[in-house]
Amino acid sequence: MKANKRVSPFVIAVAIMMTAVAHPPQLSAQTAATELSAPGKSSHNPKWSVQVKMIDPGDVNISASFQIGIYESLLNELSKTKRFKQVLRDGERNSSDVPDLLILKTTIEKYTAGSETQRAAPTVSGATKLTVRSQLCTRDGQILFDRTVHGKVLFMGSNFRATHNLARNVAKTIEQSPLPVSSMSALGQSGQL
Amino acid sequence: MDDLDTLKGIVLERSLLIPRSVVMVLLLLIVCTVASSDQKAIKPSNSTVTIGFRATHVLGFEGAKNHSTGTLSIQDRVLRFQKGSNPIRQVTIASVQDVFLGDESKQVGGLPMTLGKAVAPFGGGRVVSLFAHKKYDTVAVEYVADDGGIHGAIFELNQGQGKILRDELAAMGAHVSHNDEVKHNKIEVTNESK
Repeated sequence: MKANKRVSPFVIAVAIMMTAVAHPPQLSAQTAATELSAPGKSSHNPKWSVQVKMIDPGDVNISASFQIGIYESLLNELSKTKRFKQVLRDGERNSSDVPDLLILKTTIEKYTAGSETQRAAPTVSGATKLTVRSQLCTRDGQILFDRTVHGKVLFMGSNFRATHNLARNVAKTIEQSPLPVSSMSALGQSGQL
Repeated sequence: MDDLDTLKGIVLERSLLIPRSVVMVLLLLIVCTVASSDQKAIKPSNSTVTIGFRATHVLGFEGAKNHSTGTLSIQDRVLRFQKGSNPIRQVTIASVQDVFLGDESKQVGGLPMTLGKAVAPFGGGRVVSLFAHKKYDTVAVEYVADDGGIHGAIFELNQGQGKILRDELAAMGAHVSHNDEVKHNKIEVTNESK
């Protein structure tokens, strides 16, 4: 009985740690604008291109390296979704020639600076948390997508992991949201008819 | 009898000589080790290399693998990163728009150490955590590619090396806004006023 009493807290601690590591960060996106209909994850969606703008820090005091981390992670994660024909960077000269271009604007709303050292200690403190507002607009300023997305790193990993998690959540949210038919696709469909 | 004495003399002499040579080799090794550990910056024989550091590329440098460790150097007005024998990735210093400096700390030992600390009895893990961390510098470089696209790259360097790299980039014409320093100074002023 004694042995059982000794072992059980360790087993529980290890189980909690393993669950925390193995369980991917949950996607937590809140709808700020009117929801569009069913998620459009299907491959026959119209293929838009997207240009990722540099991150707007808003009123939040956040280091530039975090902004760069979010920007680069967004480019990487949006490319992985295969939802867009092209993923362009801010400032790319050929973006004006790209038809059906959407612009992704990201504004930091909340940032809680964490500490990798505190996280690694067996405590519950030190989490790095990021909240951003993501807007997908057309060239003429029409907002197609407006969400608040969270990214955080609770236990393992560096602070930059929060930027990666955030970008992954933004990409997932965009992937699951339907986009209107692009002008090129509409032309193609009318031609077929 | 004389021959025996001579032989004894030679053996004695040799027995003294062998430890001396061993000691000399050991001394030489120690001197070399100390000299190499003092050398913080990696300076290859090529004279055109201005400065070089061991660095970890976190993300963003075009063509370089994320979380890879290699040599970050400034050579011929170009910022270079090379991991082992992999191809060199580089950007011209003229294209660098800004350089941001930061500092972070991380726990050494990785997942095994964390799990070990979690299961350590009587809060022993917390005591270990007090000592098992390492501070490092982060350098974020914002640059513009040939097509006008803005890129950002983040590197981790040993503590103190980030400032040297940033100053060197600034001396070579890269635009540096010193934003991070301004923030730190503001915090210090606030603390002093209290």
